[in-house]
Amino acid sequence: MEEELGHFFEQFPNKKREDLIPLLQAIQDREGYLSEKIISAVGRYLDISTNKIYGVATFYDNFRFTATGKYHFRVCHGSACHVAGTGMLIRELEKQLKVKEGETDKEGLFSMELVSCIGACGLAPVIEVNDQFYTNVTLDSLKALIESFREKENTAI
Amino acid sequence: MDYQIEVNKNQIDVREGESLLTALTRNGIKVPTLCHMNRFSPTGACRLCVVEVEGRKDLVTSCSSQVEKGMKVSTNSQRVLRARKSLVELLLSNHPDDCLYCVRNGHCELQSLAEEMNIKERKYYGEKNTLYPDYSSPSVARDPAKCVLCSRCVRMCEEVQVVTALDFISRGNQTTVNSAFNKGLNVSTCIHCGQCIQVCPTAALIDISHIEKVQTALGSKDKMVVFHLSPSVGASVAAELKMKSRHLAMQRITYALKRCGASRIFNLGFASDVNILEEASILKARLENEDSVFPLVSSCCPAWVRYAEDHHPEILDQLSPVKSPQQIMGTMAKIFCAEKHDLDRENIFSVSVTPCAGNKYESSREENTHKGVSEIDAVLTVRELFQLLRSFGLDLVQMNEDDLDEPYNEASAVAWKHGYSGGKAEAVAEQLFYLTGNDKKEKFKFNPPKNMTGRRETKLTIGGKQLGFAWVSSISEAEHYLQHLKQEGRDDIHYLEVMACLDGCVGGGGQPVSRGFEMSRARKKVCLEMEKSAGKKYARENSAVNDMFKDGRLKPGNELAETWLKPVFTDRSSD
Repeated sequence: MEEELGHFFEQFPNKKREDLIPLLQAIQDREGYLSEKIISAVGRYLDISTNKIYGVATFYDNFRFTATGKYHFRVCHGSACHVAGTGMLIRELEKQLKVKEGETDKEGLFSMELVSCIGACGLAPVIEVNDQFYTNVTLDSLKALIESFREKENTAI
Repeated sequence: MDYQIEVNKNQIDVREGESLLTALTRNGIKVPTLCHMNRFSPTGACRLCVVEVEGRKDLVTSCSSQVEKGMKVSTNSQRVLRARKSLVELLLSNHPDDCLYCVRNGHCELQSLAEEMNIKERKYYGEKNTLYPDYSSPSVARDPAKCVLCSRCVRMCEEVQVVTALDFISRGNQTTVNSAFNKGLNVSTCIHCGQCIQVCPTAALIDISHIEKVQTALGSKDKMVVFHLSPSVGASVAAELKMKSRHLAMQRITYALKRCGASRIFNLGFASDVNILEEASILKARLENEDSVFPLVSSCCPAWVRYAEDHHPEILDQLSPVKSPQQIMGTMAKIFCAEKHDLDRENIFSVSVTPCAGNKYESSREENTHKGVSEIDAVLTVRELFQLLRSFGLDLVQMNEDDLDEPYNEASAVAWKHGYSGGKAEAVAEQLFYLTGNDKKEKFKFNPPKNMTGRRETKLTIGGKQLGFAWVSSISEAEHYLQHLKQEGRDDIHYLEVMACLDGCVGGGGQPVSRGFEMSRARKKVCLEMEKSAGKKYARENSAVNDMFKDGRLKPGNELAETWLKPVFTDRSSD
């Protein structure tokens, strides 16, 4: 694991405690999530207890501890989206994808995450899937979106 | 005292710069608190120590506010009392309320706060958490449902023991005190010192209980139950019960345990004597060998050994290759009792009573079991000893006395030294002084530790050589000291005693739960008194120890010594 993370570690040669969060962010950007092995390796590098890192990382919503699915739904639950009906969309996603917030399905295809304001309140409700934004989402358009992903997967096989 | 402030319309003396809580407590004004610990920085987490200060809009936490000139404080105004009551009511809102079945029933800080605040009904109904208890560790059990998030264990684990096996996980109302990845303590960085149990106000952290095991063995016809009493337990009981005739504590426990059905009660101090003699011989041998690396580091503390295995594989060779007193005792008792009574070793049930939580872990280590027979079958902490005796309807306050059993009935003054930080280093130095055959004109002098905290070292001239002896208590001290030795490139320290608990075993993780560190001082006092009144001053005068070596079967390096008395240190740094 140390070898794989080598080039991240190179960016933080001073091994300071304050390097922890930027280092975790950099690793998550590429790996998508923080595995136990990653956290242990970071702990060894910075000489910080694994549990301390886990405590810090769980304090912030931005860190994930499971791999994301191939299609990663980031659902905005800021005030504007909430008023425009995000709650209904979340329930629909839970039903269709069989995942809850922060989870990934068994096939590793879909995962869902709730995020605070994306900054497009005028277009609420907003959902982001793999860096693609979907605006003014309705129940029907959401169903169609999920269906399109499923079809894509089926044809790929 | 620097000046006075007004508290509840009375004047009290305060020192510049001290916290309000310290000043109030010193003046006999009780302020409740859950999160405050002496020797630790204040956190203001529980907010129970709030007081009203004239001119301030909000209530202030007295633990994290300094005294100021002209301060007018009220510690029991109606506003203060109401605020405190609500705080406790909120803490109780998601508490399991199973006090009847709780080990801390009767000495739980939350329970007594609820009583003090006159809480007679449930005012807030919180969602009960569904956190599972963790019984995975051999020494410490956790029940997060009973946790009040006071952070005392977290600070102890991080600031004093520097392992951070416990920490706050998640945020807000999701926060729990947990080990890494919410996995069991057995796979965490825990070193089993048990200090978290010591500081926990509720039953969120408790012993892995061995009481039922012991009760079952006591009730079984074909088991011979042998108890090993650590001298520190005697000191602890004497201090706890404020006994006047302190030297009788061990005898009282002996009588009580016999009433419970124990066959033999041995003095674990015998093994401490053996341990000291061995360690001094090893130090002598290493001093004679030019290739030796110093310091020789004590290995009698299981929590320290575990820490060294986890974090300092490079010093494992420097750990003294002698088993800890507990394991020596278990070994000798099983050999002795099995022979004398013509029994199989399996039919001997060996119980050690110690002030240490780590001993439970140590007894479960792989190398301490031989072909299915453990050297020690159960370990009772002092807390559990009281509980066991209570379950048999016995009270140590009113108890007869009985002598401990031969052959391991006596311990020299040195065994009591094992109980506190610095004592062992002194004992080893003295024995080395004796071994090197200094002529009688020279007297052994050792600067005893004056202050109980922190690292201490002293230089002695033994056999024409100047030798350095050092002692530290707590893992943070040990870690800093090792780093200091390395950075300065020092080679003038030849022996290092490490105790994982603050102040040594008198502050051990298996002692009766006590807030602050006053009790460890009281226990140390008993140890020092017992040392003075002990019949035999040095380990080498212990007749059982001499018999053991005279016996001839146990010789350095022979099979018995190699398989039963040698410890095994494993590099666990990659785990």
